[in-house]
Amino acid sequence: MSILEFARGPAFQVALVVFAFGVCWRLAGIFLMYRRFDRSQPRQHALIAGGVRAIVMRSLPPHELEKKIVFQHVSGYAWHLAYFASLLFFAPHIPFFKQFLGFGWPTLSNTVALLSGAVALAILLALLWRRASHAVLRQISTLDDYLSIVLSILPLLTGFMTYARILPLGLRYENMLGLHLLSICALLVWFPFGKLMHLFLAFPARFQAGVLLKRKGVEA
Amino acid sequence: MDALNIGGTVGEQLRAQGVSRRGFMKFCATTASLMALSPALVPRIAEALAGAKRPSVIWLPFQECTGCTESLTRSHAPTLESLIFGAISLDYHETLQAAAGHDAEAARNRAMEANWGEYFLAVDGSIPLGNKGYSTIGGVSNVDLLKRVAQGAKAIVAIGTCASFGGLPKASPNPTGAVAVRDLIKDKPIINVSGCPPLPMAITGVLAQVLTFGQLPELDHLGRPKAFYGQTIHDRCYRRPFYERGQFAESFDDEGAKQGWCLYKLGCKGPVTYNACPTMKWNLGASFPIESGHGCIGCSEPDFWDWQGVYRPLSTTRWGGYQTLGAAAAVGVAAGAVAALAARRKQRPVGEDEA
Amino acid sequence: MSATTAHLDSLRSAAAALGGRVGLSRNTDAERLDKARAVMLGELDGSHAAYLETCLHCGMCAEACHFYLGTNEAKYTPIWKVEPLKKVYQRELGPMRWLRRMLTRDITLAELEAWQPLVYDSCTECGRCDLMCPMGIQISPMIGIMRRALAAADLLPAELAGAVDEQKQQGSVLGAGRDQLLALARDSAAAGVPVPLDLPAADVVLLTSALDVKAFPDSLRATARILNKLKLHWTLLSHSIDLLGSGESLRELHVRRIVEEIVRRGAKTLLLPECGHAYPALRFDSAHMIGEPLPFVVYSIAEFVGQEIQDGRLKVNREPGGGSVTYHDPCKIGRHGGVFEEPRAAIRALGLELKEMESHGRTNYCCGGGGGQFLIARAAQLRQRAFEIKMREVDDTGAAKVLTACNSCRFNYQAGAAEANWHKPIESLVEHVAANLAD
Repeated sequence: MSILEFARGPAFQVALVVFAFGVCWRLAGIFLMYRRFDRSQPRQHALIAGGVRAIVMRSLPPHELEKKIVFQHVSGYAWHLAYFASLLFFAPHIPFFKQFLGFGWPTLSNTVALLSGAVALAILLALLWRRASHAVLRQISTLDDYLSIVLSILPLLTGFMTYARILPLGLRYENMLGLHLLSICALLVWFPFGKLMHLFLAFPARFQAGVLLKRKGVEA
Repeated sequence: MDALNIGGTVGEQLRAQGVSRRGFMKFCATTASLMALSPALVPRIAEALAGAKRPSVIWLPFQECTGCTESLTRSHAPTLESLIFGAISLDYHETLQAAAGHDAEAARNRAMEANWGEYFLAVDGSIPLGNKGYSTIGGVSNVDLLKRVAQGAKAIVAIGTCASFGGLPKASPNPTGAVAVRDLIKDKPIINVSGCPPLPMAITGVLAQVLTFGQLPELDHLGRPKAFYGQTIHDRCYRRPFYERGQFAESFDDEGAKQGWCLYKLGCKGPVTYNACPTMKWNLGASFPIESGHGCIGCSEPDFWDWQGVYRPLSTTRWGGYQTLGAAAAVGVAAGAVAALAARRKQRPVGEDEA
Repeated sequence: MSATTAHLDSLRSAAAALGGRVGLSRNTDAERLDKARAVMLGELDGSHAAYLETCLHCGMCAEACHFYLGTNEAKYTPIWKVEPLKKVYQRELGPMRWLRRMLTRDITLAELEAWQPLVYDSCTECGRCDLMCPMGIQISPMIGIMRRALAAADLLPAELAGAVDEQKQQGSVLGAGRDQLLALARDSAAAGVPVPLDLPAADVVLLTSALDVKAFPDSLRATARILNKLKLHWTLLSHSIDLLGSGESLRELHVRRIVEEIVRRGAKTLLLPECGHAYPALRFDSAHMIGEPLPFVVYSIAEFVGQEIQDGRLKVNREPGGGSVTYHDPCKIGRHGGVFEEPRAAIRALGLELKEMESHGRTNYCCGGGGGQFLIARAAQLRQRAFEIKMREVDDTGAAKVLTACNSCRFNYQAGAAEANWHKPIESLVEHVAANLAD
């Protein structure tokens, strides 16, 4: 079996099963855990509204906080947006999503999608370098942090190399495409076990903060 | 067929067929251009071909559908393809020969003896190993015949995807245990001219190169001549600009299809298929599948029948379906619930009266 | 100013003299580690799990922390301060704990010892990091768990351990006991401001803190003046002076006692003095401790005063001369309590020009000394680095003085100002209101 057929076939199937299993395991394990019930009198009501509001407003901190984190904040959102723009709107990717969802959507032109991917890649590499050199990040970073960023970069990088026919070591196009798909399998398999889970966890965590703070009468 | 088996040089044969010098030079120039050889070499090709002894070619058909022969020989008027058949001595070909039965086998054996070590073996169809009786010629199994005839061959040309890689018979579950020529013969040079069927010109070019230079053409990683299999369909497809602009046909006969847009979303395997269809086309340059509105199915690649579906785009994968993933998710939730509940035992508040 | 510094030194040495317990634990190392772990496991719940699982190691929390910003030392990154807690969670409670246990090492007592300065010296539980985290992680409550866990492992810093011991054995804190409080009440009565002590029945109960008694005696008199002006049926409880808490939080024992005393008197309102710690402990955490919602309402005195002014029941005169002030929102009643508007209403009613610091309200920078940090001698320089941030923000407003509603803050400001030779006055909001009551 060629690399491409292995990647498109059994590899992807296994990766998706591991992904589905792992994500559900971790989420159930966290949210079915015992929680203390807060019996205090809340200062403000509409706690659920407060929780929902926090989900959005945590992305927009007040100026005096924002000014300390501008670079990281802006570059973080920039690469996420650019990454997802190329992931979701690059034409060859649409049939991939259509197979699960049953529907597709309009695409960006190849040039725009690639430019977007290039921006994401550049920022990711810059942030990887930053993580390895900034004192605070060096202090708190773990294997998970580096692995997650590398596994996020690889699909982008291999995707580029596939599309632009950058084929080192005599690799052929179909094998590069196979590596691209395998890099996604690797990302899917690692996903439930590392910090990439913030895709699912960010919303309930922010919601919790919003409820807690609203109950105290503080804007989240 | 017997008329062809009269010996003599290629040049003599062609003159006997009424091909003019001018026509012959045109053939050599076309062949040179097809092989991406310099025009300066044309006189050398002409000289070589004119004086070349017509090589003996033995064609063995195994588990095949005869489509390769049909592709190569179908013509209603003298064509470049038929010229090359004039240049070779096709000493055994079951579909084309007049002889049959013991006469045919005797003719084959004579040709083999007379040209031992010098003849070319052309094979189409895969070779079954599951049971030797699955495919036989005159009571001799394919695998035995192949091994015997290959012994005296100078080189083997595996014609079509079946002979090159196993082809349709090898598709899952491969009930006959079909294999390719290269899986059985390890000590002779093999040129794979794959395709289902292959382009007629691929054969022509290969033979011309062999006759001119006495050596095999440059082959790719799968043993196919790079001159014809060096680029993918996608690389030379005339619909490429639509791919780049993101204009795709979403279904057959929709507006995009009628406009001749890219067929990627309808499963075209052009990007991973190496062949010369977009440039050489079929039926004397009439068209090729994509031009006719159907995506490439990858017929010159190994195991293309097992590629998860002709109409499934290249960017789709096997994903198990909702049931499999749903089951995986359900098991995950159960595991997480067990983990959370088991943790409750540990989550007992500590009294404050420790000193 | 120098009197305050001397005062602080005497407080610290008093505490240290009674303490010095680090290294003299009765328990074995393994027992101490187990106790710490038991506290962690007993307090960690699903909400902490969601936080600990969501951390991206982005490091933005450091950029909110005054200790990090004052020193640029990476170890002061807030989420790093709860690293042992995260490890225990991952190995004992997390859904993937079986995998974690195979791949990671358990915490050690040495690790907890190394974390002692991180959670006591370099954290006041101010909660500013809670506002910064893009994932919404509430780090400060988890620091609280860490502190209680370390306390169980006999890892309280000496000065804090001393304060706890004094409280348990002598019923006083920092040398301030009931006797000193009674003396204050007598002095106040003699000056024409009666302080009804321990009445058997009342509508409103007032508590006071050891710091007020020891360092800010005018506070009680100002509060009494206001409550008398409002003609409230109020009383001061003289036994509950230990609001500085122990080990980290007010112990359940004390909370139960306070609640009992208030309920016995039929009071529906509890007023807390200009004190930091007590407010969130009694307003929000107490319900969990006693297992049911409180049967009365809890106010910070500044909150109460501002509310009475807003509702028109308390009238104040505009201060003669007016002037500009900036208001320092104490972490415990602001960010952790939701009290922002009421003190500002009082300031406006006093006719003072309010010039806000860049970080005010919920983003206010901590004064640097909360959570008992001001007691820890070895952390003095660290505290000063953090305080410099505060000084800059105050100076940038151009305000003439700083008003606040927490005496811990006031104490820390005075100590920090003395250290830096900074001459900006820091004054109590309640004392200003009391000095300008309209007739």
